[in-house]
Amino acid sequence: MKLNVDGLLVPFPYDYIYPEQFSYMLELKRTLDAKGHGVLEMPSGTGKTVSLLALIVAYQRARPSDVTKLIYCSRTVPEIEKVVEELRKLLDCYEKELGEKLPFLGLALSSRKNLCIHPEVSALRYGKDVDSRCMALTAPHVRAQSDGSRPLCNFYEDWDTHGRSVPLPHGIYNLDELRALGRRRGWCPYFLARYSILHANAVVYSYHYLLDPKVADAVSKELARRAVVVFDEAHNIDNVCINAMGVTITRRTLDRCQSNLAALQEAVQRLQQVDEARLAQEYRRLVQGLRDPELSQGGPLLPEDVPTEALPGSIRSARHFLGFLRRFLGFLRTRLRGGPLRQESAPAFLRDLRLLACIEARPLRFCSERLRSLLRTLEVLDVSEFTPITLVANFGSLVSTYSKGFTIIIEPFDDRTPTISNPVLHFSCLDASIAIKPIFERFQSVIITSGTLSPLDMYPKILDFRPVTMATFSMTLARTCLCPMIVGRGNDQVAITSKFETREDIAVIRNLGNLLLELSAVVPDGIVAFFTSYQYLESTVAAWYEQGILENIQRNKLIFIETQDGAETSMALEKYQEACECGRGAVLLSVARGKVSEGVDFVHHYGRAVIMFGVPYVYTQSRILKARLEFLRDRFQLRENEFLAFDAMRHAAQCVGRALRGKSDYGIMVFADKRYARPDRRGKLPRWIQERIPDSSLNLTVDEAVQVAKGFLRAMAQPFRQEDQLGLSLLTVEQLQSQEVLQRLEQGVQQL
Amino acid sequence: MEAAGGEAGGRQREAAAAMAMDMDDLGCPRCKTTKYRNPSLKLMVNVCGHTLCESCVELLFVRGAGNCHECDTLLRKSNFRVQLFEDPAIDKEVEIRKKVLKIYNKREDDFPSLSEYNDFLEEIEEIVQGPCTQVTNQRCHKSLELPRQAEGQSWRFMGFRPLPSAYAIFQHGQIYNLTNNVDLENTKRKMELYQKDNKEVIQKNKIKLMREQEELEEALEAERQESEQRRLLIQKEEQIQQILKRKNKQALLDDLEKSSLPASLLLAQHKDRSTQLEMQVEKPSQVRPVTFSTGIKMGQTISLAPIPKLEEALYTYQPLQVETYGPEVPELEMLGRLGYLTHVRAASPQDIAGGYTSSLACSRALQDAFSGLFWHPN
Repeated sequence: MKLNVDGLLVPFPYDYIYPEQFSYMLELKRTLDAKGHGVLEMPSGTGKTVSLLALIVAYQRARPSDVTKLIYCSRTVPEIEKVVEELRKLLDCYEKELGEKLPFLGLALSSRKNLCIHPEVSALRYGKDVDSRCMALTAPHVRAQSDGSRPLCNFYEDWDTHGRSVPLPHGIYNLDELRALGRRRGWCPYFLARYSILHANAVVYSYHYLLDPKVADAVSKELARRAVVVFDEAHNIDNVCINAMGVTITRRTLDRCQSNLAALQEAVQRLQQVDEARLAQEYRRLVQGLRDPELSQGGPLLPEDVPTEALPGSIRSARHFLGFLRRFLGFLRTRLRGGPLRQESAPAFLRDLRLLACIEARPLRFCSERLRSLLRTLEVLDVSEFTPITLVANFGSLVSTYSKGFTIIIEPFDDRTPTISNPVLHFSCLDASIAIKPIFERFQSVIITSGTLSPLDMYPKILDFRPVTMATFSMTLARTCLCPMIVGRGNDQVAITSKFETREDIAVIRNLGNLLLELSAVVPDGIVAFFTSYQYLESTVAAWYEQGILENIQRNKLIFIETQDGAETSMALEKYQEACECGRGAVLLSVARGKVSEGVDFVHHYGRAVIMFGVPYVYTQSRILKARLEFLRDRFQLRENEFLAFDAMRHAAQCVGRALRGKSDYGIMVFADKRYARPDRRGKLPRWIQERIPDSSLNLTVDEAVQVAKGFLRAMAQPFRQEDQLGLSLLTVEQLQSQEVLQRLEQGVQQL
Repeated sequence: MEAAGGEAGGRQREAAAAMAMDMDDLGCPRCKTTKYRNPSLKLMVNVCGHTLCESCVELLFVRGAGNCHECDTLLRKSNFRVQLFEDPAIDKEVEIRKKVLKIYNKREDDFPSLSEYNDFLEEIEEIVQGPCTQVTNQRCHKSLELPRQAEGQSWRFMGFRPLPSAYAIFQHGQIYNLTNNVDLENTKRKMELYQKDNKEVIQKNKIKLMREQEELEEALEAERQESEQRRLLIQKEEQIQQILKRKNKQALLDDLEKSSLPASLLLAQHKDRSTQLEMQVEKPSQVRPVTFSTGIKMGQTISLAPIPKLEEALYTYQPLQVETYGPEVPELEMLGRLGYLTHVRAASPQDIAGGYTSSLACSRALQDAFSGLFWHPN
């Protein structure tokens, strides 16, 4: 069907549309018109992706001069694939409408690990190995002096000779199709995709290709300004930004650095004897101040912070540079050895560096670039071997470039094992806005969207940008298919809470167990329960076992537990789903912030109820977190508690949101902690959950909760047809034009 | 300035002591004590880069000087320092580097261009670590091939007089290197030469450097103080919050005790108040801008007070009394009436437009003519 969104004709691949999808497109169009950034929150399972794609593609077609490209960033490979499929559906719809194929190129890009078709390289297990093997086969210096003795990648060679001149034919390509195409033509799909994103109309890839300066510069540097960037599932975007800029150095890293350094020294000496000219050439290049644009890529610094003047004389020659690194490394080793926990700012660190090791900040800034130049001159084949020293060099460059928004924390031991010395140096980025700022500046429109972005004004604050639109959309429902409630007490009136003082209380644990037990008796199919941490999960389950609760639950349903081991967890998940398929149902015990809470959906019978045991606060004693809180308070006037509550609530919302993935789906959401009832906490839940918690279910006992659940489930068990939804939560084109509906649409949007 | 230097040194020593705290597996090569067995073990290192523990130093260098037990270099006891790095070679290098940097302390603004400064930096590295390859020597030779005059200037700039000895060093392409004890003599001579030539610059930069260091220290200190203040402020705020909450609770109890209103109403009121209190907590305190848009700090008082008045007697005009020794010249207005103007050229319209009147010229001529007429030498 074709929609008229504020004067823009948008073909939509489905026959019906949700009202909130239409309002979402309206807001989106306003954002694009204003050429600004937007923050949009829409409940999960209401077709965010397709609305985004439909509107932006239509906009692109209508005003090709305003928007040339869509860059869609998602988190995981399955999500990327999903987006590409939606895009394909949309393009099919266009084709049907126009009767011919649209000249449109959309493709997914992922790491070499997911795209490589080289028989040997693609067989490697870890992404890191694939990367370094691929580089060893395709690096310019390897190819330049190939006399047949060194193996090269035929796929890359073929692509390099023919591929650049032949653009990818129009169409939509997911990862599999890229690989298939690569096999058919004998071209490397990875480089083909990387090259093709420059002229593609839509690119779908991971956050890191934009946010992590180490890869962003190489991949996304040439993308045009007139592009729309979409960050989907962006509720964790601040953490992605922070991780992209941080460095963690352990004792082991330094030990391996030492051997790296020795290897480099040896290589330099060997080269001096064998082929002095190469070193001389590099040296001359550096003396003349000529800098290789290729080398400035792949560094840890943001493009605008990369120094542009000539390299300082003190690290120009290879041997001097190695001596420089040796001193720096020696200093770090001593620093890591030194006694108590310490936290310092970058200027203080640099001062000590100058006083004790005679290292100035200026050469240190060039450290990472110089190392890359050296590695290239030495023609190192296996770059991954030199990861540790690259890391340390990156740290040097970062610490001497950024003085604000970063902190250095040296922990002498892990908090859990205070007797074992295991010093770690964290160079931690506190300011999420540093990494994302160039994106906001470079691209015309950046859309940040997710199912859980509440409170909306938090994101512009911590990412430091000015959005033109901020809106949250509620869910129009023909029947109330979600049932959030807050259970604050057990049947014995003991408060349920995961507060530190009472979390080990037998009564509290028993009440939690009773809640799960009684719900498992009334809820059909799958139940997912989230704990605040692995530790808490273990101790609680142990206590339940002793109290006999576990046994009683097992009479109703099977129990599966998420662990820190990835393989074990996927096994548990698989079996859980199998158990749900069998009909008797199962209970999955997992952890907020874990793998299950972020990426896995529990549609329909896989998750009929979600229980959130406790409020998932972060580990507040962590030094890094403390430093960040302090920074947020100073810089953005965010109180510690406010940020902690915000962070906890977004994770809680994320967890309970797993159960509801569409309007025909239904689920119970239980918040088992009395603290959820407090207005400042409740206010931070997404609007679509908040407005469905009636005042009567703010502080339920276990019994009451079970009663509410029973009533809800009975209502949901009634047959539900599509006709019931029509006109209310599902609209046709004709309905969309009526005045009454449009008025209702207005109410569904809350703008800030 | 002396005091500041001393203070910086003290801080450095402190930092060094803190860093050298824990080196379990390191030990004294002479008495074989390790840090593990003797936690108070202090390892020392001298200019030659060989380690000794503190008690061995006491023992071997009772007289204040002696030879290194490993390399037989003559050492002074006072030159022993606490070993900072795990590898004593780095300690030695840093020590040398500090010495060299004290002399070679030119800064970027002392050079006309960045590339020359970079050459200078490399020079330092060569002195400390030695040139890496023959490439550098090639560069030296190449610059020696420059036309003589320019070359002389450039060397003088680098701090070397174009003396035959300095030439010799370069022409032979010899390696001088303090850390590896290669060609010590030449290098030392070179440094002395440089020091002699650049005395003033060195002194000037030393002062500058110290001032810069002080500024840095001040900035760090200010940062520390600021964070401390913030901490106190937040503590205070939290206390106030606590007190308010307690008061609110007490007020409810009092109300329940005394008031005649129904309890449910009171409870609802209390709830309202506490939510209000909580929301108030949530509200961030208004951001107070610290700087004006011009970048001037807000706390800084720009004096708007008027410039102080100079208190002195006001000038009063006194008509000029000129003794002309001649007959009185008639007033300007009178000239026409007295008929003087008939003998002067009448002013044309152009003259009048320019502000000229014939009476002006006439009066001037009369003054000239009359002055000094009655003058008598007695």
